[in-house]
Amino acid sequence: METADLSQHISRRFNEDLERVRAQVLTMGGFVEQQLAKAVSALVEGDSTLGEAVARDDFQVNKMEVSIDEECSRILATRSPAAGDLRLIVAIIKAITDLERMGDECEKIGYIASRLAAQERPADKYREVKHLGRVVQNLVHDSLDAFARMDPEAALRVARQDRLVDEEYEAIQRQSITFMMEDPRAIRRVIDVMWVVRALERIGDHAKNICEYVIFMVHGKDVRHVKLEDVETELRKRGGQA
Amino acid sequence: MLRNPFEDWGFALWRVALVAGAGALVGLFVGHVWWGIVAALALELARQFANLHNLLDWLRHRNRRDPPDSGGLWGDMVSLVSRLHRRKQFHKQRILRLFRELRRSTASMPDGVVALNAAREILWFNRKAAELLGLRRKTDYGIAVASLVRVPEFASYLEKGNFGSSLRVRPRIGEGTCLEFQAMPYGEGQLFLLVRDVTRQEQLETMRKDFVANASHELRSPLTVIAGYLETLALDGDLPADLRMPILEMRRQSERMTAIVADLLELSRLEANDEQVIGQPIDVAALLAVLRKDLVTRDGARHSVTVSIDSPDGLMGDPGLIHSAFWNLVDNAAKYTPAGGAIALRWWTDGDGGHFSVTDSGPGIAAEHLPRLTERFYRVDPGRARDTGGSGLGLAIVRHVLQRHGGELKIDSIEGRGSTFGCHFPHLRLVIEPVALAADTRYSPAQDA
Repeated sequence: METADLSQHISRRFNEDLERVRAQVLTMGGFVEQQLAKAVSALVEGDSTLGEAVARDDFQVNKMEVSIDEECSRILATRSPAAGDLRLIVAIIKAITDLERMGDECEKIGYIASRLAAQERPADKYREVKHLGRVVQNLVHDSLDAFARMDPEAALRVARQDRLVDEEYEAIQRQSITFMMEDPRAIRRVIDVMWVVRALERIGDHAKNICEYVIFMVHGKDVRHVKLEDVETELRKRGGQA
Repeated sequence: MLRNPFEDWGFALWRVALVAGAGALVGLFVGHVWWGIVAALALELARQFANLHNLLDWLRHRNRRDPPDSGGLWGDMVSLVSRLHRRKQFHKQRILRLFRELRRSTASMPDGVVALNAAREILWFNRKAAELLGLRRKTDYGIAVASLVRVPEFASYLEKGNFGSSLRVRPRIGEGTCLEFQAMPYGEGQLFLLVRDVTRQEQLETMRKDFVANASHELRSPLTVIAGYLETLALDGDLPADLRMPILEMRRQSERMTAIVADLLELSRLEANDEQVIGQPIDVAALLAVLRKDLVTRDGARHSVTVSIDSPDGLMGDPGLIHSAFWNLVDNAAKYTPAGGAIALRWWTDGDGGHFSVTDSGPGIAAEHLPRLTERFYRVDPGRARDTGGSGLGLAIVRHVLQRHGGELKIDSIEGRGSTFGCHFPHLRLVIEPVALAADTRYSPAQDA
């Protein structure tokens, strides 16, 4: 496995560079996790200040993306990494794009939350959104854990959970349509909530992408657009060989 | 066990001689004495090789096999080696036992413990830490701790390296758990990280704050009614003379109670939120002028009040909070300074940031009271302070307001000479430009609302 290579570089500086940029990605991930938690909490608790804060702080995510991107370019240019190191850099460049998109979705949720806070809250107090929010938060958390540990098996497990989010999304969508038919005055609000749910579903997809990069990083196998079952059998075969 | 080595060596030499002799004898019978000796010595050599083979074989698999049973020098060698081996095993067992004991004892600790190296990578952690932080044994050794505990506040806590204080965070917002981290440096840059679950403590703290806020809120409405009637009664000209005194006193006390309740409410509002205020530019010069005017309007010429503005810079903050904090200090100075005394307000900036100070020529405060002065309801002189009508919460409010602006309160006092209450704001809070232009409007008390 190439993770072991990290300690075998002739140049210690190179090693440190790689470790630092990996740590930066996870710092960025931690910030996005917090943004997500805050955004969902702002909506559920009807806290407009918190929602505005989330929308305002998104610039920090963008800043981190730019800085990590530059760092990666610098490593590519000066060290010309190969094999596992190259895959690590490529995976990082992709992962930060996904993290940045997650940040954008959080910004959207925060913005909508601050707008919805002024309105009457529905009887169910956004229970469904809260639940979906928790599932997505766990998904993001576990995908970043898999990234930190370079654990392809955990990544695969997490990627499979993305289906749960999709199912939940479908359910809320159906429910929202019923709400709108029952009470046309709520249409405006329900549409806003739909945007939030949609954003959460997108965040789940981005988390799944990060899991795929972990598998790519460790096994050198591109598993995008491949059915997860096939990936699993493939990985098992490789595991048997090793 | 070990026989006399000389005997052994002697015995071995004798043996070789004996074998050679026996060979010679057999050779004599056959007619080839020398061939007989050579054959006998070759046999002896073969026996030695066999012994060597046995020894090597045993050394390779000594954990599973008994030592070979060979006499003489070989036997000595075997017993020596096995003694060394046993001793090593014994030490190893002892160290293992110690280590296991250590691990078991830290596992039983109620707090999580994580050991980090200089690069902040995980060296080791106990079971509780694994449970609190979601770490996994073995796979997580060597991973940077901030990569797994990805709370932004935690990362900056580790980075800052100011481990005098602990850090309280909620790893997952919206869920209850609250963790407290305390890092302790040891060795060469290593860190010992204590993790504690303080959810229950936090809940109690919240309950206490909620209780104070609710109680003050509930007390306010009945108080308003009582104060209102007393006010009307006090103004009533037909009031019997013997009732006049009690009514006036009741009115004074009800006013005091109202002030206390208002301060309690303000304090609990401040406590409910400990985030830094962003606020807007405040024109400090204008604010101080307003404070001076308010004081002179209330007290007349009881004190001589001077204002010196030594910097054109303004302050970034919440105008309502800053006004309340500054007014509390000015009001305090006025209360404790006898008539004819001097009160000086000053605003200046330097490399450290912005500073506001209130200096009075009052009786001063004894050094032993200074550290406790900002506690709620703390009184330097319990008997006297009641007359002045303060709530005992003023300085606590000032401290909280300053905390939320990243500033701090410093009190210097010499008994008999007077006191200086200084508010120090970090450089970040300054507005380095003519504030009158930067601020949307000049400061006016109307913004308090």
